[in-house]
Amino acid sequence: MDMRPQPGEPGLFHVIDGDRPLDWERVYRDHVASIYRLLYLKVGNQHDAEDLTSQVFLEALPRLRSSASGGEIHTYLVMTARTTLAGHWRRRLGVQVTTIDESLVSAEGQAPPAADPLPRIRRILAKLPPNYRRVLELRFLERCSVGETATRMGISAGNARVVQYRALQRAAELGQEVGA
Amino acid sequence: MSRRIGRVSRWVDDLLHDRSPRRFGGAEEDAEVLAAAIELQSASPSAGLPDPQFIESLRQRIARETQGEVPMSTRVSRRTLLAGGGLAVATAAAGVVIGDRLASPSTAQKELLPIGASWTAVAHLSDLPEGTARTFDTGSVRGFVANRGGAIVALSGVCTHLGCVLQLNATARRLDCPCHNAAFGFDGTVLFKHMPDALPPLPKLESRVRDGQIEVLTV
Repeated sequence: MDMRPQPGEPGLFHVIDGDRPLDWERVYRDHVASIYRLLYLKVGNQHDAEDLTSQVFLEALPRLRSSASGGEIHTYLVMTARTTLAGHWRRRLGVQVTTIDESLVSAEGQAPPAADPLPRIRRILAKLPPNYRRVLELRFLERCSVGETATRMGISAGNARVVQYRALQRAAELGQEVGA
Repeated sequence: MSRRIGRVSRWVDDLLHDRSPRRFGGAEEDAEVLAAAIELQSASPSAGLPDPQFIESLRQRIARETQGEVPMSTRVSRRTLLAGGGLAVATAAAGVVIGDRLASPSTAQKELLPIGASWTAVAHLSDLPEGTARTFDTGSVRGFVANRGGAIVALSGVCTHLGCVLQLNATARRLDCPCHNAAFGFDGTVLFKHMPDALPPLPKLESRVRDGQIEVLTV
């Protein structure tokens, strides 16, 4: 579903506001770090997070009006981030790998929750069988290559890839059980 | 199955090298596996911290593409942007005032304002009981004023880490950064942080009380 305002369609903040221009530098400064972080946590790499953050601000800033409150601006940016992320996954893999929760979009005036992702990750890792936990710790926490991971686990590289795959499958299942 | 294992492994490799992962067909079978890898990636110490160079280059791109502006060398520098926009300038200007007063006692009673700086009323003293703080926004400067045992303190409202706007947590009597779970006290000192980077205290702004009004020096 494309939630983006279409050209010619009244946008969310097409509010009569005299001629006062939007202080876009301030809007940008206030929101860029939190929008970047929100997107990074959904794509997991700097390259895509920067690309999507750029898309969000380039698209949203011209549509914002100076009468919009901080909360409204935040809501609009998160909403734009949500559709931008959806388009990214549609083009990239044809499936919505991650989504931005609707509750963030409607959270009036609040920055995205700065929930520390680590406690949840630790809970998931703690529930994994030891070899699954080990492969994910080596790969994601110690940043080992597949080859290094295989050596440290005393298995072949091919086997390390299989264990990594199974471990990610199990982590995904546990993620649903563990909750937020 | 080995095809799925191989392509997920390549995808994870890209992710771990902070590259944009290559596209592949049939990903719907493994969408949850990819999502789990993305979540694990956020355990990395630098996860979610924007590169200051990226922040500045996107700012210039926005100016060019949406505002029709040509970036000028006089515009806010990256360092100033991260330190909190005009706030760093304001505190530097305040330093000039103090320096001048020390250097020439004969002018101590006068108000030496750096060019372009002015006192702006930001709150009524009566609205700021002891132990409380309020946000203010003069247009060029956004910050907090706090009453610490009768002494008024004015602080920058922008986190010294990456420039996120701080939120007043009146209950806990602190200023929270929503981006990386850090907080400052009403005196500007760091109460806690959850990032490896050093976190300087919040810059103080020059402030005074005139006719029951709290004023802050801004440029």
